[in-house]
Amino acid sequence: MSSDIKKKFSEKLSENIMDKMSIDFLRTQVLKNAYGNKDTVIAGLDPRILLVWYLFFGLIPWFSHDIIFLLGCFILVTITTMLARVAGLVLLLFVLGVFSQTGYLLIVILLFGGDASAFLPLLTLSLKISTVSLASITVFSGLDPDQLANGLMWFGFPERLSFSISYAYRILPVLLQEFQNILLSYRMRGNPPSRKTFAGNLKYLIYQVKVIMHAFYPLMLNTAKRSRTTVEALELKGYRYAAVNKEVKKIRLSALRLTNNDLLFPALSFMWVAVTLLISSLL
Amino acid sequence: MQQINNYTAAQPQKLMIFVLTMSMYGLATLFSELIPSFQVGIVEFSVEYFLFIPLTLAMLFDPISVALGAATGELVFSEIMLGQFGGLGELEKFITVTIGVYIAGRLVSNPSNRKLVGFAAMAGTVLQLLMGTIVDILKVQFAVEDFEAVAGLPQSVFATEGFAFLNDVLFSGILFCLLPALYLVPKLYGKIEPLLGMQPRTKDTWLDAVNVKVILGSLVGFAAAIAAEMLAESGFELIDWEAGWAESGTAFAIGMIVAAAVILVIILILRTNTSKKAG
Repeated sequence: MSSDIKKKFSEKLSENIMDKMSIDFLRTQVLKNAYGNKDTVIAGLDPRILLVWYLFFGLIPWFSHDIIFLLGCFILVTITTMLARVAGLVLLLFVLGVFSQTGYLLIVILLFGGDASAFLPLLTLSLKISTVSLASITVFSGLDPDQLANGLMWFGFPERLSFSISYAYRILPVLLQEFQNILLSYRMRGNPPSRKTFAGNLKYLIYQVKVIMHAFYPLMLNTAKRSRTTVEALELKGYRYAAVNKEVKKIRLSALRLTNNDLLFPALSFMWVAVTLLISSLL
Repeated sequence: MQQINNYTAAQPQKLMIFVLTMSMYGLATLFSELIPSFQVGIVEFSVEYFLFIPLTLAMLFDPISVALGAATGELVFSEIMLGQFGGLGELEKFITVTIGVYIAGRLVSNPSNRKLVGFAAMAGTVLQLLMGTIVDILKVQFAVEDFEAVAGLPQSVFATEGFAFLNDVLFSGILFCLLPALYLVPKLYGKIEPLLGMQPRTKDTWLDAVNVKVILGSLVGFAAAIAAEMLAESGFELIDWEAGWAESGTAFAIGMIVAAAVILVIILILRTNTSKKAG
């Protein structure tokens, strides 16, 4: 019995670290999420409008205890998430995240002698968490990274943040590729311990974790070189002066333009919220 | 010729350090977001932190650029990119990571001294985790209505948060912060600095020990993290009151619907007009 559990445990351990994590899969998902949904309704909207919209649905649910209102918001953000055609990986993470935040708490409450009365606050809490996260998924995954960066810049967020977002989406595929290459070279030269026994499995796991840690050494050196090249290239174009120059900012943001579609979206959302409020006041 | 003895990093170097930390820690947090955690009984095993990356870099480079880079990297790669952005809660994580990494970086005068490196790595990790735990407990207290009234909830929150803290210190702290930092810092010391056009940190060039100013600054930062939650709490009352008033009046809700309908009609008319003009 106990050896069976041990075996399962160790299988789970090693499986979690390496086998399920295909870096190629990750890379395609991130790329798809960033650039694969440019033609959706959400991606076509003005980033400023979407950010204001997010501010509403990212904040207001925290302040309400009205189940019907929360449910209404939840349905709306579910629809917008579907419209944004978000990558599967992101949705999976969302489901896992919501469960880990409230499902776990529910189990512990039952363990400490709580009863069904604990269920309603938890349902409210999960509705709030899901609404807020789906709103953020809609805006942050639905938008093109450059659009998002421009939108944030328009609202006066530090230029460093817009730069980080644009840079991160571009550098991530390169970084992943490099990390994978380093890991593969370690694997080719390495001699992993046998996985036949429980101790062997444990050793294998430790070996894997060690390889990942060691892989960061060449990765850090390579990334340092790349950072230097990046910054020097930016400096050549006068990046640090442009970052604080108002004229440059104006030119960069001149592409943002409000259309009727951009107004239609918040108006429809407003209508929906008003209807939910009416229903909740009638009931 | 300009002398290249900028330990205290000139602006371009600071930007390089920022970019380096952001991409490295961002990549790592992306992984830790994806590796699922699993539980054995009540103890949860998760690769919560790759905090060793910013810790290592903070001991070698300008601590504040590293700290800000790490916090930004986490925000951008694992929160915004994966759509996990949680609004106000992210501010708290941003601040606690910044403080933890910065202080760890300030503690190390000589990166080849392993004892010092180990101490600083643990100190930074414990500090960050402790601040996170305190804010987490406060957050649940504010988010759930009638926190004290729900049977078993306060105890369970303290228990889970306490467990999570110990668990993280023992598991993530030692395995994923202490050991890698001990391996990486002496190994990278003197090798990675020239790649960014800098001199390695020595006893003469480090930023001096943590002083009162740093501690005060950290306390202010931590207070700001809590204040964000407190602000949410007071906003809570305000909007709750407004919403209560709105919910009680059916007329108000109908008024809102009418207003929304009028806006919609106007936009639709505008839209048909523009499309006619365009066509």
